[in-house]
Amino acid sequence: MSGGVYGGDEVGALVFDPGYSSLRAGYAGEDSPKFDIPSWVGVTENSNGNETEKKYFVDTVALHVPRKGCEVVNYMKEGMIEDWDTFEKVLDYAYEKCIKSDSQYHPVLFSEATWNARGKRERLCELIFEKYQVPAFFLVKSAVLAAFANGRSTGLVLDSGATHTSAIPVHDGYVLQHAIVKSPLGGDFLLNQANNFLKESGVDIIPSYMITDKQIVKEGDRPKWTKKNNLPEVTTSWHNYMKREVVRDFQQTMLHCSESPYEEEMVTSIPTEPYEFPSGYNSEYGLERYKITESLFDPSYIKGVGSTMLGMSHVVSTSIGLCDIDLRPSLYSGVIVTGGNSLLNGFVDRLNRDLASRTPPNMRFKLIAATGTTERRFGSWIGGSILASLGSFQQMWISKQEYDESGKSQVDRKCP
Amino acid sequence: MASGVQVSDTVIEYFQQIKKGKMYRYIIFHIKDDKVIDVETTGDRDAQYDDYLNYLVNLGPEQCRYGIYDFEYDHQCQGTTDSTRKQKLFLMSWCPDTAKIKKKMLYSSSFDALKQSLEGIGKYIQATDMAEASYECVLDKMRSTDRT
Repeated sequence: MSGGVYGGDEVGALVFDPGYSSLRAGYAGEDSPKFDIPSWVGVTENSNGNETEKKYFVDTVALHVPRKGCEVVNYMKEGMIEDWDTFEKVLDYAYEKCIKSDSQYHPVLFSEATWNARGKRERLCELIFEKYQVPAFFLVKSAVLAAFANGRSTGLVLDSGATHTSAIPVHDGYVLQHAIVKSPLGGDFLLNQANNFLKESGVDIIPSYMITDKQIVKEGDRPKWTKKNNLPEVTTSWHNYMKREVVRDFQQTMLHCSESPYEEEMVTSIPTEPYEFPSGYNSEYGLERYKITESLFDPSYIKGVGSTMLGMSHVVSTSIGLCDIDLRPSLYSGVIVTGGNSLLNGFVDRLNRDLASRTPPNMRFKLIAATGTTERRFGSWIGGSILASLGSFQQMWISKQEYDESGKSQVDRKCP
Repeated sequence: MASGVQVSDTVIEYFQQIKKGKMYRYIIFHIKDDKVIDVETTGDRDAQYDDYLNYLVNLGPEQCRYGIYDFEYDHQCQGTTDSTRKQKLFLMSWCPDTAKIKKKMLYSSSFDALKQSLEGIGKYIQATDMAEASYECVLDKMRSTDRT
C-alpha cells in the first residue's frame, strides 16, 4: 500500500446510509444515526429573465410547508443515487445543518446497494473527494454490514425496504452477485395497496396541512372539518406526497401480518381496532389489516396483477437455490432480516413459519432478526458505524493521498 | 471486505503445534485491544468437547471468540464392517446472539483474516447459539462431506 494511512479513529468518522425513503447519517461509534433525512426533496423553480433558479427544501420541516409550485422529487432509484444535483443539496444540508462541521476533517463511510453500478461508485468517490475534500473515504455493501452486525460473515440477508425486497447471499463477507433475487414487494407496495383499499371503501384522504379544525364525529360518519384559508397553489406531486404520509401512518400502525396463511374465518375472530384519520373520520378495521399484508407472502392476493412476483419466503428460497449446493446449509441456518418494512407487525413470525416449511429437511433453519426497532431499521448504518470506529479499520480507508495519486478507480480496488 | 484486524505470529505458531505436533485438543483465540487476533488459552490433548464448549459458555453471553478443535470421530463406509477413526480440524467463530453488536461486528468481520492465515482446516463453523455449537450439530457438519 502506498503510504498515506489515515488515522481514522482520531477524528470522528461520518457514516452515511442512503435509502429510498431516507438518508441515515451520524458519527461512527454511536449506537444509532443522529439524523434521518427524507430522500424526498421539495424543489421550486424561479425564472427571472433567462436564468432559472432552483431552490431546494430538504428535511421534514421544510418539506412539509405548503409552497406554490413546489415539486417533490426523490434522488434515489432502485437503491442507487440517480439525481446527483439533488443528492448534493441533501449532503450540503447534512453538513451545514446537522453535522455542523467542516467536511474536510471527517473521513466518510458510505453504504451502497449491492447492485450499485461501477460508474456510480466512482462518481460518488469523486464527489466526496473533490467537492467535500474529505481526508478518507470508504464504500461498503449494506448487506455485508447487516450480516456482520448480526455476528455472521456467511448468511442470507433479506432486506425489505421501501421500494423492494431483496435476498442477498453473503459468503465470507463478500456478496454472491449472481444469486441476488429482488422482488418489488416492499413498503411502498403495501402503501399503494392500503391506499387502494381506503379509496375503495370510500375514505377521502385529507392531508393534515389542509385542516385547521375538526369535530368529533361518530364512527363511519362524514368527517366535519374546516379547510385552512389562504393555502397556496400546491403541485400535485406535493399534494400526493402529503397524502401518502397519511396512508403511511395508517400502514405503520394498523397493518398486521397474519401468523399463518390467511383464512377469513380465523381472522374474523380477532377484535377490530379503531383508527382516526387527520380529518376526524374514524372507523374500525379488522379483516383488512391482515388481508392487505397477505400479498407480501402470497402474491396471488394482489388485485389486478398476475401473481408473477415473488413472495417473501419465495425470494429467500430462490436466492439460496441459485447458490452452490455446498453453501446452502450455511445460508439456511443464517437468514438475516433487516430493513424498515420488516418492522411490520408480525412480519418476522410469519416469515419464520413460511421459511421453516420451505427449508429442505436435511438442513437447519434459523432466522436472525434484531429485536430492537432501531437495530432493525438502521441495521446497515449501525454496522457501518462500528466498522468505521474500529482502530484496525484505519488501514482500509482510501486516503486523500491515494485518491490524488490514482484517481477514482481506487474505489474498485479497495472496496470490493 | 475485512476489518483490517491482524493475525499475530503466535496464532500461526500454535496452529502448527496443533496441526503437526498434535499438542493440544483445542485452541481459543480472542481479539486483543480490537487490533490483533491472539491465543487466549489451549486445551490438553485429553480434553473433551464439553470442556471446550464449557469454556466458551463460561465466558458469559456477551463474549465472542474463535476456536480451533481437533475433532475425532468414527466413520463407517457403507458395505464395510470396520469403522475408521477420522480426525479433522475445525475453525469456529463463536458470536452468540446475546453479544453486543460491536463485538459481533468485530469478530465476524475479522473471521476471514484468520481463515486466510490458517491452512489445512477441514471445516468452518459459524455458531451463534448453543444448538449450532453442540456436539451433534458439529458432528453432522463434519460428516456432511464424507463418503457413505
